[in-house]
Amino acid sequence: MNRTMVPALALLAIAALVAPSGAASKGPAAGKTVHVGVIADVTGGAGVYGTPQKNAYEMANDDVKSGKIDAGGANLTFDVADAATDGAQVVNLMQKYTTDGSTAIVLGPTLSGEAFKAFPLAARANFPVMGTSTTAEGVTALGPTVYRDSLAESQVIPTTVKRTHDKWHYKTAAVIFGDDNAFTKTDGDIFARELKAAGVDVVDTETFHIKDTDFQAALTRIESKHPDVIAIGALFPEATKIIAQAGKLGIKAHLIGGNGLNSPEMYSVAGPAAQGAVVGAAWFSGAKYSSNVDFVKRYTAKYGKGPDQFAAQSYAAAQIVAYLVAHGATNKDEMAAGLKGVRVVQTVLGPIGFDANRDAKSSPVILSIVKDGFAYFH
Amino acid sequence: MIAQQLLNGLFLGAVYALFAVGYTLVFGVLDILNLAHAAIFTAAAFAAFSLAVGTGMPLPLAFLIAAAMAGIIGILLDRVAFAPLRRRNAGTLVPLISSIGVAIIIGATLRGIYGVDERHFTTGAADTAPVLHLGPAAFTIVELTIFLAAVVLMFVLSWTLRASPLGRRIRAVAEDRVAAALLGVNLERTIAATFFIASSLGGAAGVLTGLEYNSVTLDMGGPIELKGLAIIILGGMGSVTGAVIGGFVIGAVETLATAAGLSEWRDAITFGVMFLILVARPTGFFGKRALRQA
Amino acid sequence: MNALLDFYAKHSQLIDQIGINAILALSLSVSLQAGQLALAQVAFMGIAAYVSTILALNAHWPLAATIVAGVVASTIVAALLAFPVRRLRGVFLAIATIGFGEIVRVFANNLAITGGAEGISGIPNDAGTGVIYASLALVVLALFALSRTRFALAVALVREDEHAARGVGVDVGTVRLLSLALGGAIAGLGGALHAHSSNFITPADFGFATMEQVLVWCVIGGVTSPLGAVLGAALLSILPEVIRVLADYREITNGVILLAVILFVPGGIASLWRRGAVRVRV
Repeated sequence: MNRTMVPALALLAIAALVAPSGAASKGPAAGKTVHVGVIADVTGGAGVYGTPQKNAYEMANDDVKSGKIDAGGANLTFDVADAATDGAQVVNLMQKYTTDGSTAIVLGPTLSGEAFKAFPLAARANFPVMGTSTTAEGVTALGPTVYRDSLAESQVIPTTVKRTHDKWHYKTAAVIFGDDNAFTKTDGDIFARELKAAGVDVVDTETFHIKDTDFQAALTRIESKHPDVIAIGALFPEATKIIAQAGKLGIKAHLIGGNGLNSPEMYSVAGPAAQGAVVGAAWFSGAKYSSNVDFVKRYTAKYGKGPDQFAAQSYAAAQIVAYLVAHGATNKDEMAAGLKGVRVVQTVLGPIGFDANRDAKSSPVILSIVKDGFAYFH
Repeated sequence: MIAQQLLNGLFLGAVYALFAVGYTLVFGVLDILNLAHAAIFTAAAFAAFSLAVGTGMPLPLAFLIAAAMAGIIGILLDRVAFAPLRRRNAGTLVPLISSIGVAIIIGATLRGIYGVDERHFTTGAADTAPVLHLGPAAFTIVELTIFLAAVVLMFVLSWTLRASPLGRRIRAVAEDRVAAALLGVNLERTIAATFFIASSLGGAAGVLTGLEYNSVTLDMGGPIELKGLAIIILGGMGSVTGAVIGGFVIGAVETLATAAGLSEWRDAITFGVMFLILVARPTGFFGKRALRQA
Repeated sequence: MNALLDFYAKHSQLIDQIGINAILALSLSVSLQAGQLALAQVAFMGIAAYVSTILALNAHWPLAATIVAGVVASTIVAALLAFPVRRLRGVFLAIATIGFGEIVRVFANNLAITGGAEGISGIPNDAGTGVIYASLALVVLALFALSRTRFALAVALVREDEHAARGVGVDVGTVRLLSLALGGAIAGLGGALHAHSSNFITPADFGFATMEQVLVWCVIGGVTSPLGAVLGAALLSILPEVIRVLADYREITNGVILLAVILFVPGGIASLWRRGAVRVRV
């Protein structure tokens, strides 16, 4: 080879890795129709999480047609069904998709509890499923065809604690978490565990319920113990109020939190009290992966507000599925095999792969809340 | 810390009381448990949001209009869901179900209009509410205003029931519907007025709650719906004073439970207290009503 | 035949749900027939579900034994509950029992053995359609048999006019206790079956929202008869799937249907063809 060819080849190889871009290629599944079933809680209690998921899949449908997502020329569609945050409907939809003979893979459901109900069905049928927001422990253990592209809190929080402890060297901490929701409870347990492991003295633990709006009693109690750091295991609505009320009560401790705090709206809702709060996240809206910048811009233009983590993880799942389709997977068995063999797919979450437990293999990003959204935590 | 906790409980209780008062009024007059009350609470909050943030109306005006709108929804609720059943003498269970139906419709309508996202009255960056202090305890002007508004409204209601002609008619209907009718009270109009008052107070509670926590969501009525039941039992079904005191008591119980480190048992404690009251003194602390027979 | 098997393969989950929901609706109907607005069925359901699950997973009891244990537990709790609420009527009873349900839910949320908010997953999926419908048939037959006894007469009398019932020598307290216990037993059966067919249970499954649902099934179907309860449960369980095409309008359609049925047929759907239907005022 001569000297111009090597760099050219290198560039081509990189381009192939960095795809998708613009024109759709012609893969082995070109011209074939591939249905993907999506179960999401568009309405009901979890509607605020399921709706961005639905939006992301709608965008994915458009993007496959336009070639922005490369499905190798296949007619790939994502069919979103609303489970209305009703476990019974989730199960019925899962049964529908796994028995209709035309669905290749099921994405979702929105909540971990729903996954625990419905994934065993898929596992019994050797049907591939991928969770995009079901981050509780044990979800992927439900079966050898169960995958997850959303980083679990157990994969993120240790990094959050380590990085903040390295920087701030705090000695005492308090943990406040929701005790009636699997996600927030997991956050609370893992934070407590990791803080102790880092040699931090957890001086107080407080709990609240989902949909609570007044946290002042708990925060007052926390403040009486004067911790250096407060770890927050909460979903976004509760997190904003905890932070705002902490500010009102004059609490000066550093704030760190789990995925639930990962929304660029945090500062605008919670106010100056949110400045400097640290969030361990699976996705950063400002990340410079090429498909992410474009995704954020177009999602915001189409839906009037920026995408959140739920949207990003759903869109990434769509990208992963499209990648598999482009490499020839058109039915459930091919999809399951494809998932087993896939190494890395470039998505809006960055490069994503699956580890031996079929969990997402990706790096968490530690962010600091600032006036216009986030900054990388250093 | 005690001072702050007491203040926390006081502010929490005021809004609880306002919500419960509407619940108990409807029950006292009509023996109906109106499960659409929480939906009206939520609807008023969204209405105030639209008026204040959408059209830039000053908050006090938005508050009053939203509360009035809630009152009107209450009248409609009665017309559609309860009045037809009253004529057919259908008991207490059936109106409960129809109120559930209306609650679902209101919820679905709100979702259709506003979507699933949480709405805010102010954006944090602009929130410069100064924090005041009462000794070591902190509170904001917003919280104080809300507390005062709730207290004023409850006084107004109390006065209306005690001293105004309308209040006398309402109490007459609550006491004995048939006798009141025989004495010339216009039943349907009095009932409509009752619903207007009860729902506008519930709506006021909704707007104040939305302002207090700077949050308006579709499911904001959920937690308070069940707590409202505990409150009216505590205070005595049909007793407005009881509902007010019950609201403050429950606010205090919740705050103290958390202050004592028992936050995860909060609801069990609230309902445990309610249960004990029901068993020991079923009429509640102030209930003038005797036990209802099936 | 093939078409039937195919239909079953595609809808077995829904079919199982209908069976369990019917059992739950019947448990409430039993209380309502006695004129008691006892809304603690989901608590009994939950207790049985957890007992049955814990025994199955930790002690490896066989299915039948865990179901029996669950039912026994829920029946005992229901019977015990009858004492503190014996003087309560109407809405007071309703609120007391709702409160009891909330207390049970909080316990389920906070205890380690129930898995807390994270629930218990990996429950053996061994309650199949056969078991569920056999149980349903058992309950229906038992209630039918009961309806021929003097007990049923006493129950109806207590519902219609408690004073009169006492007047003719009916021990109202015992009647109420037995009907509550029976409701608890049936709800427990539903709960145990639910656990063994859902793979996963969590305290949120047994909250007020579920209780509301069961109440709606009963009243829409018809409070006067077991047939009404089964009908209400079946129709309303299928409804979300049938109106799925309405997408975003499903929720409001739900509310409108509920309102329309209750306004036009306050006695419930079953009362449409019951000749001389007894109008139940609860």
